[in-house]
Amino acid sequence: MPPLEILDPTVEARKQPLTFVARPDSLKGKRIGLVENTKYNSDRLLLKIGDILKQEYGAAETRMWRKHNAGVPAHAEILEEAKRGVDVVVAGIGD
Amino acid sequence: MPPMTTELVSSRYAVDDLAAAIDLCFEKGWTDGLPVVPPTEARVRAMLDAAELAPDKEIGFITNRQVAVTAEKVAINAVMAGCKPEYMPVVVAAVEGVADPRWSYHGPATSTGGAGVLMIVNGPIARRLDFNSGDNLFGPGWRANATVGRALRLVMRNVIGTLPGRLDRGTLGHPGKYTYTIAENEVDSPWPALHVERGFRADQSTVTVMAAESPHQFYNQLSSTAAGILTTLCDDMRISGNVMGQPNYVVVIAGEHMRTIAADGWSKADIRKHVFEHTQNSLAHLKRTGRLAGAVTAADETTLRPMLASPEDILVVAAGGRAGSFSAYIPGWASRRTSEAVTKLIKERSA
Repeated sequence: MPPLEILDPTVEARKQPLTFVARPDSLKGKRIGLVENTKYNSDRLLLKIGDILKQEYGAAETRMWRKHNAGVPAHAEILEEAKRGVDVVVAGIGD
Repeated sequence: MPPMTTELVSSRYAVDDLAAAIDLCFEKGWTDGLPVVPPTEARVRAMLDAAELAPDKEIGFITNRQVAVTAEKVAINAVMAGCKPEYMPVVVAAVEGVADPRWSYHGPATSTGGAGVLMIVNGPIARRLDFNSGDNLFGPGWRANATVGRALRLVMRNVIGTLPGRLDRGTLGHPGKYTYTIAENEVDSPWPALHVERGFRADQSTVTVMAAESPHQFYNQLSSTAAGILTTLCDDMRISGNVMGQPNYVVVIAGEHMRTIAADGWSKADIRKHVFEHTQNSLAHLKRTGRLAGAVTAADETTLRPMLASPEDILVVAAGGRAGSFSAYIPGWASRRTSEAVTKLIKERSA
């Protein structure tokens, strides 16, 4: 009897190139965007981080956006406004 | 029309016999912890043929994972789950459901909240393929229920990478993550079927997928009225799931309760309205029980917060055994605007 042959049920994720924007050498005078993921206290955490960036690193201002929910990427409106209005974005998972 | 691609592109592994094949699937991490049916080419092709699908047909694309789910991979996993070939169109519709942006795959599949995928099968196919809609509704014993739900979970695991401890971070999970498939008892139900309420024809077949907690049953043997039975349901349901507000709930009304509620002339819409109105919590209660932040104010005592955005977010399903004064509710996963129940047409093989 010939050997049995079975098929692999898994798949590799599609590879995609990611290009990172160069990080600024300094945050002095930079406008900081904060992307909040709706989790409890994530807004407070990000505001605290924003305050530190202003007080200790000389950032000019902060602005915060709220995602629709924690499970989705930032929506188009956030991306468009961030592109126009800020120099650096801080995002993270508050949970 | 271009010719259908028939080549199977998956890697192949040679083994000595069926037992070795089953062991290899365990060793490769391809199973849910139970043995699987080895996916041979003949079995996989039978699965594809039953749904008239080319192997390279894309059934869904999971954006967050950048994974295309092809018919070939769905068929392989359906074989492994123990599906008969004729179940394949149901599995395909379920995969389409979880790949739908409204279901929003990343959240419910990954979250610490540990949701399973509840699948509700409606229409003629449920009867033809012997999906259970009666006794022991959520329990074992029916091949269609057991293997179709399992097939979806294996697709999530093997194709989309939803591996426990990695991209499935459920803190607790629940047994429905093995398989979680029911059908509506459309034969005995006095009400329009779920899929008809959601815009399909009665002679069409559908599967509804919802990110869901485990089923919670409630007991009322005393009431002979619709309002009486639903009072018990609402008292249980009021503090369940995410009481701060969820996308969906399923309410499963079983035989005895179904007959009592229908005898009172209540429709599914009446049930939804009653449940929506009687499951609201005061802000004061939510704050006292650690569900809502902040100090309790006088106004909080009389300000009510509904569990859902609208009565329409409650999916009422007639199912379960004929005997016994039990019915059930199933909380959806997470909160509003996260993941909503999606109903997909099951595309059956042309005659």
